Parts: sequence; structure tokens; C-alpha cells
Amino acid sequence: MSTSAVLDGKSAPARVAIVAAGIVSPLGCGLAETLGALQAARDCVAPVTAFPVEHCRCKTAGQVKDEALDTDRNGRRDRRVHRATRMMIAALDQLFAQDRQFKPQLTVIGTTSGGMSYGENYYRARHERASLRHAPTWIANYPPQKPVIDAQERFGISAACQVIANACASGTNAIGHAFECVRSGRYERVLTGGYDAISELVFVGFDSLQASTPEKCRPFDRDRSGMVLGEGAAVLALENLELARRRGAAILAEVIGYGISTDNFHMTQPEPSGAGARQAMERALASAKIDAAAVDYINAHGTATPFNDAAEGKAISQLFERVPVSSTKSMMGHSLGAAGAVEAVVCLLALQHQFLPPNIHFRRPDDDVDLDIVANAARTAPVRTALSNSFGFGGTNASVLIRRAAT
Amino acid sequence: MSLGIAGSGWVTPLGSGIEFVWDRLLRGEEPIAEQIGASPRDRTHPVFRVPEAALASLPRDPRLRRVSAISRFAVAAGLQALESAQLQLNRGHPERIALIFAISNGGVTYTRRFYNDIVQTGAQAASPLLFPETVFNAPASHLAALLETTGATYTLVGDGAVGLPAIRMAEDVMASDAFDYCLVVGAEEVDWLLCDAYRQWRLLRARTPLEPFRTSPRGAILSEGAGAILLGREGAVKIDKTNPGRAYRNRREAAEILELLLADLVDPDTGLIVASANGTFVDLAEAAAIGKIAPHAVVYTPKPAMGESVGASALWQVIIAARALETGEFPPVLHPPADTPLRIAGQGPRTAKTVRAVVVSCGLNQQAAGVRLTIAP
Repeated sequence: MSTSAVLDGKSAPARVAIVAAGIVSPLGCGLAETLGALQAARDCVAPVTAFPVEHCRCKTAGQVKDEALDTDRNGRRDRRVHRATRMMIAALDQLFAQDRQFKPQLTVIGTTSGGMSYGENYYRARHERASLRHAPTWIANYPPQKPVIDAQERFGISAACQVIANACASGTNAIGHAFECVRSGRYERVLTGGYDAISELVFVGFDSLQASTPEKCRPFDRDRSGMVLGEGAAVLALENLELARRRGAAILAEVIGYGISTDNFHMTQPEPSGAGARQAMERALASAKIDAAAVDYINAHGTATPFNDAAEGKAISQLFERVPVSSTKSMMGHSLGAAGAVEAVVCLLALQHQFLPPNIHFRRPDDDVDLDIVANAARTAPVRTALSNSFGFGGTNASVLIRRAAT
Repeated sequence: MSLGIAGSGWVTPLGSGIEFVWDRLLRGEEPIAEQIGASPRDRTHPVFRVPEAALASLPRDPRLRRVSAISRFAVAAGLQALESAQLQLNRGHPERIALIFAISNGGVTYTRRFYNDIVQTGAQAASPLLFPETVFNAPASHLAALLETTGATYTLVGDGAVGLPAIRMAEDVMASDAFDYCLVVGAEEVDWLLCDAYRQWRLLRARTPLEPFRTSPRGAILSEGAGAILLGREGAVKIDKTNPGRAYRNRREAAEILELLLADLVDPDTGLIVASANGTFVDLAEAAAIGKIAPHAVVYTPKPAMGESVGASALWQVIIAARALETGEFPPVLHPPADTPLRIAGQGPRTAKTVRAVVVSCGLNQQAAGVRLTIAP
């Protein structure tokens, strides 16, 4: 089981390929549906149906359609597992349909809240002195590692799991750490990604902070008033590029850099000058050994909160010269631990299909940040290198760089 | 890759400070259990809590004013680990230390309070002060802020074994030349809701003591605290091998996976196994695997003396293994079974010059992992 003995030791950094990917989000299920929604600039945010929201300011979210989760693998047993597990299974189903030979040695997945809604069920039932007949199922499926373990089991994967919970940066941190694991030569193949399912506790939490908006989500707009939540799962199969080529795997793209920083400013607010965000992007560029000018597109964290977009916008405009920027959260909401992975797949599609995904609901630019926003409609453009940002509570910042596969 | 333990710290129901707690363990002391429940009318559960005095050395930092207990435990243990390594972060390169935080249930008390307001009154009553502390990486964030680290900070979630995958992750992170040190911290806070949930699972004992390695397990006693180890390139005690294990599907498979883990980690020089036996099915799985693969090794479990602290427990085990290698002594297992084929610590000689110890942990939610520690002879 241990790989350290055989893969230990220093050698030239390995190149890291993405050989397969899967995605379930409010935009749709699978790469083709997601591409269609992005190119059509579809607004996939809708009224919340999973729990009552009449006492919240915000009443909308990006939600995954239940039909998307009814894969062939979802048998009777899956009715007991958490919705997050079903999203992971649906995403993995797509990934393994693309590359059946991919056998990960390690799985690194990001999340923020695991099977939170089952914890809520348990607490409510206990509080209301209702039946606890389902309590063992709720408790067993509540821990954040459970959806990963169950989804792996469904595909016969026995790799060790590292489940990262770095708030909203979790998905990007997971991809970045997985990238480092392959690049260092300690692993040849790592499965990575992120997941999160919408839950009442988290929804109300962001509402209580007045971070979520009762209006449309308008990242980087002068009149932005906050985020909307989302949910989803996305997975990427990372492999040593040379080994992937040798076995004839499809190379979808290459992860070339990763930056992580901690800004220690505030539990829920970014450092206002954007220093933490800038440091993560600078470290990603240094890790990839490329200049800022080589980046053709930035998928921003862009939550549409006044503080985040101001700090991120400053950091981007300090580092880059008029690079196209969009936040696809405007279309599907913020899926927290899944967001980094979902947005990495969005970057992958932009690289494969040579377009810039849109930032919808954009009306007026913010005078304080000078950005080239991909406003309201997708743009055709040559895209060779894309940067994806994720920043989270606790001052955790992460950026990954993805390059188009050589043709 | 081999990493050295450059420093360590812990906050436990027996107190805090490596030497202080180690001495109490050697003397075979155990904490007094406290009974906690939702209300005086409700069922109560015995737990081992951290005494307030154990946190006396916490800095008076505004950041710690309203934080959860788990964050305070983590900060206290993390600062001890740095102090024992004589490392002052803010005078060096704060980006060159990575922080990996192992966590299982997180800030469960604030999470319960936050959700309770929603259930009792409605969303309009939800507290914006509590919500940020419900996030899994809140303790890591507070610790990073106090240490002024600006590099990589990761919170790894899992079950009681999570501290060992966190060490494996530290190995992965330290494969990069970007880091000189990695501080690995595991922490847990206890709450009646947690006890209530584990009781639903039939994993808790209604009264003390916690009796390990019984052929018919009677249940665990939950506890709280934090453990921290600072890993660097050097150190008298090395973590020379890690095994990330894999998930077990059922209790029978747990024993099989532990057996594979031990077969990978144990060698003839391994004189001590620090196990995670906690009075549950884990004990049966560990006893079967150890009996098969390492019948020669002395077996110790800290859980009867310190309780099942879930997220913190594997780090406590590693600290104990390191102390045993350094001092040649090991504490007695409290409340051992009358008859067992295992060589239970404390039932024979209390000292043993061994150069290798294996720490194995089997969590209650399907995870199992192990690490091996070596001291230069």
C-alpha cells in the first residue's frame, strides 16, 4: 500500500496531465451539458426547494437537478446515502467512462460540509423528539470523508483518501495538492476534485453574515450585493504526463502551477489590499515558471461580495495587464468546497473549446478595479493558459494554472 | 522520505505539557470523568474534559476572545510544539512552515448552538458570530494567525485515524523544497451532542472505566484536547515510514486492513505498538492483527487514561511512541483484560530499549492508517 518506498527520492519535477474529468453542477451533468450552458450564458440559479427560506434575505441558489443523480450505478442502496455521495458517484461515472484504466494511488478531495443535511436531520429529530429510526444512517453518512469513501467503493477504488476542508478554497487546494503529489514523483496517478451539497445550516450561515444576496449575483459589478450558494461535484484524473502518454491516455490538459497562501487578516474577510490573493497567484506563476503575460483567462473566485471582489480585483489588476476575467459563480452559485474543482473543469472546457466563459448579470464596471470582464456572453478567443482562483474563510487562498494540451 | 520530530505539544484531560502528562501516564493516573447531557433531565454521558488549568499558558490574543474550545486546545498544543523545538516563527520565514490540521468533528459546540437557534426560533435568529466558528478550518485559521504563518495551511478531515493521514500528507508537502517544517496538529472538543450520536451507534460506555482489548467490548469514553508535532528534516526520533491505509467496508475488513498495515510497518526491530484500542470493535480488529503480525511487540493504548479524543487521538499516540523511544519507558495500559495473548504494556517490565515503534489507528468511520517511528540506536 505504501508508495513512498518505490517513488521516493528527488528527480526532475514530473509534468502533470489531466486525463479525464467529470462534473455535476447546476449547469448540468457532464462536460457536454456544462459546455452548452457556459456557451449559452445560462442562468441556473433558482428558488431554493430543499428547505424553508422564508426567514432568509436570500431565497435562491444553484441546485443540481435530482435527475442528474440517477445514474445507472445508483441502485436501491443509494437512496440511503447522502446527496453529496450521489453527486460524487455521478461525477466519477463520467470520469471512468472516459478512462477506464485510470487507477489512482491517492484521492484528494475538497469539501466544506460533508453530509451536513443528515446532521441537521438528526438534530431536528432529536429536538422534536421524533423518531430516530434513521439516526444510524444519518450519523454514518454525516462525516465529510464518507461520500468520498462510498463513491470510491462504488468504482472499486481502494486508494487512501485525503479530504481537505479549507472552506471555499478546498477544491482548488485539493487539485493543487494532488498536482504537487504527482509533480514530486511520489505518486503517478491521483484522483482529485471537490464536492458539496446545499444545506440549511450553511445557507442560513451565509445569510446571517449578509454575504448572500436577495438579488442577482453580479460579480465585479459596481452594484454587486453578495453571493448565491450552489452545489455540485467535479473530479479530475491527474497523471504523470509521460506515463499517461505511454499508455495511450487522452491528454485533456496539463496542470502547470499551484499557489497557496494564508493571509491571517480576518476569519471571514479577505485582506483588503488583495495581498493574500496576489501571493497565491504569484506563487502559482512561480510554480509554473511562467510570466503573468502568459495567462489568457482568469476564472476568478468572484463571489460578488463587495469585499472579495474588491480585494481580488485589485490583486488581478496589479499582477496582470487586462487579461479576460469572469466569475462563473454568476451562473451557478458558489458551491463552496466543490467550487474550485467545478471551476477547474470550466477552465478545462475553455482551453479545449477556445472560448471565454461569461460573467452574467454584469451591468456596470466597478470604478475601483480595472478588469476586462467577460460580460454577459461567452467570447471566442485563443486560450492557452487559464488561472483559477479560490479564496476561503480563514484567509486561505489558492490558485491553479492549467495549460491547453499540446495538439 | 523520513521526517524528524523537532518538537511536540499536547493538551489532554491529564493536563498539558509533554513532561507533565507523560509523568502522569507513567504513574498510571487517569482523569476524573465529568457527566454531560443536553439538560439535567436528559441522559448524561461520562467524558474526560481538559482542565481549565491546562490552558493557562494561552496568549491573551484578541483573536482567541470568542473562539471555540477546539481552537484554544489547538493553539496551546501548537505553541508548545514550536517552543519545544525552540522555533520562533515570526523571526524566520513564515512562508516556509506548513500547517496541517487534522480534525474529525470540528467546532461541534458552536455548530450545535448555531443550528439550535435556527431550529428553535428560525433563520432570522441565526448568529453571524457563531457561524464562522462552525467551519472546519476555523481552528487552523486561528492557529495560523497566531503563528503568523503565510504558507500552506490545510485542514484534513477524517475519523479517529485522521492524524496519521495528516502525517502522510506532511510527507507529501515536505517533498517540496519550499518548506523547512510542517506543524501537524490534531484536535477535538467534546459535546453532549457528539456523545448522543456515538451512543446511537452503540459505541459509548455509560460509565467509566474504558476497558481495552476485552473480547466483548463495552464501549468508549469520549474526551477532548489536542496534539501537535513539528516535523522537520532532522530530529532524534524519525518518522521513517508511513502507510496511508485505505477504507474498510465492515468490521471484519478492518482487521484485514490492519494486518496489511502492520505487515508493511513492523519489522524485527519493532518493540512497541501504540494502538488505538478504545473499548469498541476496534480492539478486536487490532488484537487480531497485532497477534498475527507482531506477537513479540509490547502493546500500549492511551485511551483508558486519556479517552477517545477522535481527531486528536492519533497525534497523542505518536507523541507517546516518540517519548517511549526517547526514554526507554512506557506507561502501563489501564484496566487491561485479565487474559489476552497480547503483550500488554505494564503487565511485564516497564522499560524496553527498542529502536522502533509503530503507531496504528483504526477510526470508527472506516479509516485506518499507520506510521513507524525510529530512534538512532
